[in-house]
Parts: sequence; structure tokens; C-alpha cells
Amino acid sequence: MTDTPAPAPGPGSGPGTAAGPGPAVSAASGAAQPAPAGDTAVSLRDVSKSYGPVKVLDIPSLDLVRGQIVAVVGENGAGKSTLMGVLSGTVTPTTGTIDITGQRLHPGRPDQSQALGVALVAQEFPLVGQLSVAENLLLGRRPARAASQRLGRVIVDRSGTRAEARALLAEVGVKGVDVDRPVERFPVPVRQMIEIAKAWGHRPVVLILDEPTSSLGPVEAERVLDLARAHARAGGCVLFIGHRLDEVQAVADRVLVLRTGRLVADLTPAEATEERMIREMVGAELARADLTPPPSVERTTTLSVRELTADGLGPVDLDVKAGEIVGVAGLMGSGRSRLLHTVMGAQPRTGGTVTFDGADFRPRHPADAVGAGMGLVPEDRKEQSLLPSHSVRWNVTLATLRRISTRGVLRPRSDKAHAARIVKDLGVRLHSQEQPISDLSGGNQQKAVFGRWLAAQPKLLLLDEPTRGVDVGAKAEIYSLIDAAAQDGLAVLVASSELEELLWICHRIVVMAHGRVVADIPRERFGKEVIMTAAAGSTTGALTQGKASA
Amino acid sequence: MNTSTAPAPSGTVAGDEPRRPLLRRLAETPEVGVVAACVVVFVSLALDKSTFASAVNLQGMGFDLAQYGLIAIGESLVILTGGIDLSVGALLGTSVILMSWFNVRAGLPPVLAILVTLAIAGTVGLVHGLAVTRLKMPPFVVTLVTYTVAQGVTLAITSGTSITGIGGTFSDLGQTYVAQVPLPLIIFAVVAVAAWFFLERTYAGRQVYAVGGNPEAARLAGIRGDRRVVSMYVTSSLLSAFAGILVLGRMGVGSASGVGVGWELSAIAAAVIGGVSLTGGQGRILGIVAGTVLLELINNGLTTLQINSNYTNIVLGCVLGLAITADRLRARSVARRG
Repeated sequence: MTDTPAPAPGPGSGPGTAAGPGPAVSAASGAAQPAPAGDTAVSLRDVSKSYGPVKVLDIPSLDLVRGQIVAVVGENGAGKSTLMGVLSGTVTPTTGTIDITGQRLHPGRPDQSQALGVALVAQEFPLVGQLSVAENLLLGRRPARAASQRLGRVIVDRSGTRAEARALLAEVGVKGVDVDRPVERFPVPVRQMIEIAKAWGHRPVVLILDEPTSSLGPVEAERVLDLARAHARAGGCVLFIGHRLDEVQAVADRVLVLRTGRLVADLTPAEATEERMIREMVGAELARADLTPPPSVERTTTLSVRELTADGLGPVDLDVKAGEIVGVAGLMGSGRSRLLHTVMGAQPRTGGTVTFDGADFRPRHPADAVGAGMGLVPEDRKEQSLLPSHSVRWNVTLATLRRISTRGVLRPRSDKAHAARIVKDLGVRLHSQEQPISDLSGGNQQKAVFGRWLAAQPKLLLLDEPTRGVDVGAKAEIYSLIDAAAQDGLAVLVASSELEELLWICHRIVVMAHGRVVADIPRERFGKEVIMTAAAGSTTGALTQGKASA
Repeated sequence: MNTSTAPAPSGTVAGDEPRRPLLRRLAETPEVGVVAACVVVFVSLALDKSTFASAVNLQGMGFDLAQYGLIAIGESLVILTGGIDLSVGALLGTSVILMSWFNVRAGLPPVLAILVTLAIAGTVGLVHGLAVTRLKMPPFVVTLVTYTVAQGVTLAITSGTSITGIGGTFSDLGQTYVAQVPLPLIIFAVVAVAAWFFLERTYAGRQVYAVGGNPEAARLAGIRGDRRVVSMYVTSSLLSAFAGILVLGRMGVGSASGVGVGWELSAIAAAVIGGVSLTGGQGRILGIVAGTVLLELINNGLTTLQINSNYTNIVLGCVLGLAITADRLRARSVARRG
């Protein structure tokens, strides 16, 4: 091969030498590099991160060596993202030091981390949608050719950019992508591959992949795993944040398990069986919350979903009875929110039937669902629930405006009385119902949103992450609200990424993976392991009907 | 001297809730600044120039206020939904010409000419609303198109000349006084009260605020926001045409020169000065009316003071700048608290 493109660490290549000693320059081209395997690539000492009194990451000592793929597994909130953030410089650790290839990383300096050879492939892609694929791939740096040309430092070298972009995509194994098209026109899996190629283009020493396969089909996923293997073989270090345990087993040379910010296990591939990993992730307490609630009195079926499909969802079959609290568990992107939004009519359905309260139900707008007696507490309170600059009164009466008006007219007195009743029933703590809702704490805001819906006296309440960003005290209050409402005959479908929450309040939990329901677990069989195993999408039994990609 | 007199009259406007101290509530009412400014400017000018507060001048201001105020209310309704309507001024100009054309050249009786013009304006508003909600086109662009086309239509119909010989109905509407008060001013007051009632006292009005404040939250709360948005665009266009009736009646001829040109900017300025947030969802009729009054007072006051009219826009621009800055600072302090 002719001159290999030199590792071109971005503009201002100060400590460029750090990336010098043979990272995976064109590893995929098959050139066997002298792999300095065994050298320490990353070294963490006494690293911790606290948000207020909460310690989200606490790692006394951790070394990652070159030539290995290190998988990191853990539940939601175990500290995986924080660990990556610390390494890539986007999160400033509270204490401790980080050395990358022997050089000290200044905390909170993503640019320096990149210059030292760390590349992060994030779950949410920071691609510029309107720019072309080529421009995205070479964002923040110039093609290698440009340096040798006159004016190359100033003028964008279009053909050079294109050529290098094509080469990069070929290296990561993507074919048939027009590098001149804007990124936003490509579907998510392709964008994920572009993101990987972009990171690859920085010729990193440490390649961090954050659940890289969650949006990919089996073929692309395998390509990503191959890329990781090639990078490790060429002497790089791969940090693989995984959620599919089968993939972790397939690819890892070493498995780290995080729980509540601590490193609880450091396993060899032989030790890392699926049972072992799940046990370490979940912890010693064999999670079986048999503390609460009374088994529901079996009543009429409120919601009955058959063969429901929508973009990224289904087909799903599901029944929810009156007075029953059904949990929806699953990993990120498994379709939990989509299920709720499709039932609500907030996302168009492509097929299937929904029977609600005994009648066929085809909402064309959430307003139809509200009219029929449904309510939805969405996931993102600020973006999807609140009118942030408006008063608490306006916020709590939003779903019942028509009901409290007489012939379309609102009378201030009954309006205020109605709002006061909601606020009082829910125990929202505030100065005055005229204060902006953004003045309240997260927990009180969420209670106000619950109040909005409970005032509408729905027959079915759809809850998406009902206690996200809510303090512990308010959480307990919200749980008892849900419980009380269910005892009055309300059917509740609650999607959550917090397993404890579901185990605590639900009568039944369905587990979703790839947009389908893969398990339906009654309260007697509750356990974190059961759910995690099903959610990870491996062999739960006959319920998993093939892993056709969505 | 007169700053101390300012808060007193405005207190009568917003006093019906006898729970918190009056002063405290006044301080929290966002419109209090504009209303106070109106009073200060009025009193200062009246003290300085006796002609300013004369009946004739006040009546003149009343006519002006009606025509600017009507489109300012329409404009504000659209801004509340999170949009903007750049076409209100141009559409007013076109309505004037259309009405006189229908009346004089097509020989329709005045009432019919008015109805046909209102129907046309309503259709334009409907197109705006549908383009914004169904096609997700940016309101700025949609109404900019109308702005351009409407001005072109006006010129094409008249070729730059005026249409004379319009029916008496127009001047009846545009030039009558009721007990010394100009009829257009009374019409404006009625429209303002109706708009106030809609926004503050009907659930549909509350939903307009909700859609402007957070469209996604409104949608998921079961509010058909698109309908509200469309109806606000229609109302805005109708109010433009309606103001056109008054303008035509006042002038007596269908003139294409200078009618409505740039008025949309006055309307937007009045809304913003009155506390309407350009991001949508915030603002009240009281503020919008006060904003229009303040602009009119300044405009007229500068004339009364015999200041070169070339400087008028500088002053108006500065007032607008101040208002926008104040709005931004207030929004930021709210955001900080949250």
C-alpha cells in the first residue's frame, strides 16, 4: 500500500504524538500492525462523580489495556454513561485522575480527550442533519490531502473530503451510501454507522461504543462487532457499553459490571455467563418486591390490543383490565413509549385493532383518546406535559377545560375552585395556584400533571416514566396515587426504565424488545432476573418469535 | 412630577381579586409598565401642549387608534399561537381597493362589496392557517408571500390611481361620531372586549394560549391545536379587512398609495410593547390595547410637538427596542426562577 493517511488529529494538533505509536491506522485494510498489546491505554485512579449528595460513579482503580475489548454492563443508572462521559471529557469527575496513553486528561476537556485518542460513539448522534455525509465525517478536521496543497488550510477540498469519506465508510463496512446526501435523509441505522465511521476517522486509541447496536439490524450489528475486534487486534482499546448480553459474550475479552456507580465484578469471558452477569447487575438482594399491593379484583377488560403495529412497534397483543396496573419493561428503544403513544393516538398506527371500554377505538388525534376516557402522562415533563411559563391553575385544568366550561365559557370562580380541588387532592405544595408551574419542584410538577388527568376521570391512564426526575418522597406519593386510582377501577399501563418501580406497583409486567412483547410476567413470578433476561432479547422460551429486525 | 400619578389609574383596570395587597398584585401584572407609560406620556404631552388634549386631536387619535388597533389585535392572536402574520397591512390595503372596486366598478351595493371582501380575506386567512398547520410551513414565509402578492394586487387593480365615487355606507361607518366619540373607536372597543372575552373567558381561548405555550404538551393533553391556529389566522385576516372598511370610509376614496404599507410592523410593535411574547403563549388584550395606545400617543405627540416627522420612526424604533429588551429580561428572570 502507498502512503497511509497519517493519523490526523484535529486542528491544533498539540499532543498529536500521543496518537502516534500505532493506533489502528487502517486496521481494516488488513495490514498487520505491530500491536503493542498489553500496554495500558487508560488508567483511572480514585475517580468519582457526585451530583449533590448522590454518588453516581466511584471507581478506586481501573486499567484498560491495549488489544482488548472491554464490555461494560449494568442496569439503567448504574453509571455506564457517566464513566464514558468522564473518559471522553464531557463529564468532569468530582475526584480522581485519568491517564490516557500515559498522559493526564484535564477534566472537562472533550477536545483534549479527543486529541489523546479517545473517540466516543454516542447513543444519540451529534450529526449535523443538513450537512452531507462527507461533511459530517470530516467535521472539525481537514482531509489528509489538504495539508499538502496550497491554500489547503483555508479552502474546503471537496473532492478530497469526498474521497476520504468514501474510504472511511468502506473501512467500517458501509456500502451504497451517497456521501453527498444530507445525513438527515438516511434512516437511523445508517446514521449510526456514519457516526461510527466518524469516530473511526479520528484514528482513536480508545474507541468507546455506547450501545452501538441498539438501532441496528443483525447484519450491521455484526459489522460493528467485527470492527471492534479489528481495532483491538491492531492494538487499540475498545470500551463496549452493551445491553444485549449475547453480544457482550460474543465480543468481550473482559466484562466489567457496574452497579450504582461501583465496579462490582470484573469477569473473564469464561466467567461471564448470562446468569452471572445478570446476577451481578441486579445485586445480591434477590429482587422480589412482595410488599405491596393487593391483587386486583378481576374486572372487565378496559383495553384490548390486537396485532397493533406502528412505526417501530409491533405487532403487539395486550390486555389491561379495569383496576389493573400493568407495567411495560424493556430496554431503551424497545418500543415502550411508542406503544403508549400509539394507543393514545399520538402516533399513527399502521395496523391492528384496539378495543377500548368494549368498543372499537380508532383515535386520529389524542383528543379522541381523551374524549373516550384515556389520559397520558408523557415521559418528558418539560417538553411534553407542561406549559412552563403558565400558572399551575392553567396547567392542571388543561385536560378538563371543556368540561368545566358552560357553553364554552369559563367562569373564573369555578375555574379556580376546580384547580384548587385538584391541587388539594394531589397534595401539590405551592404558594398560589397562580404561580408559574416551572417554580415548583419536579415532584410537585409531576403531581400536578397527574392531577390534570385524574380530574378528567379517565378509564385508562398511560404513564411513561411516571417518576423521572422526582424526589423520593414525591415518588412514594405518586405510587400511592396510582394505587388508589387503580382500586377505584382505573386501568393503568405504566412504562418505566426503573425495574424497582415496576416491581413495586404493578400487578403484571410485560417485557418489550424490538417493538414486540416478548414476555408477560404475573406478579407471582416477579424478579429482576426474569425481566432482564427477557429484555436482553435472548432465549426466554417460545415467546421470542425470531429476532427479525424492526 | 407625574410619575407618582401613574399607577393610580391603572389600578382600576385589574382590580377584582381582593386577596393580596393591591400594590403587590400591580407589580406582578406585566402590563402595568405599558399602561403607566401611556399615562405618563399623555399627561406630559397634555401639560406641555394644550392642543394635544383638545377634542379635535383626541378624535383624530381615536380614528387612528381604531385602524391600527384592529390589526394589532389580529396580529396578536396569531402571535399567541406561536406564529406571525406579516400580511395584515398589505391585506388591509388590498381590502380597501377591493371594496371600492366591487362598489364602484362592479356596481355592487356597499354592504355586498364589504361581504365579498371579507369572504376573500377570510379565505386568505384560511390558506395561511392550513399552510402553517397541515404543510408545516413557517408562518413568516407563508404570510410574506401574501404580503407581496397583496401589494401587487393592489397596484394591478388601480394602476396607481384612486377609485372615487364610493357609496355613502362607507363614510357612515368611517366618519360618524356617537356623542363626540368616533364610531370606529367604539367598534374597536367592542372588538377588543370581544377578544378579551374570548381569550380570558372561553376554553377555546385558553387552548390558544396552550398551543402557543407548548404545542406538543397541548396535543398530548387532547387539544386540537391546529383548529385553534387556523381560526386565529382567519380572524387576523378578517380583522385586517374590517379595518380596511374603516380606513376606506375615513378617506372617502379607494387609494392605493401608502395605505397599509408597513402597518404590520406597527401591529407587531404594539403587540410586543404590550407584553405579547413573540415565542407565543403569552400576552393579554389589556397590554395589546395599551401598546397600541402608547404608539399612537408617541406618534401623535411628536407631530404636536412639531418635531420633524423624519425623526418619528427613530423614536418609535427606540421604544420598540426598549420594550423587547424589557420583555427579554423579564423572560430571563422567570426562567432563572424555574
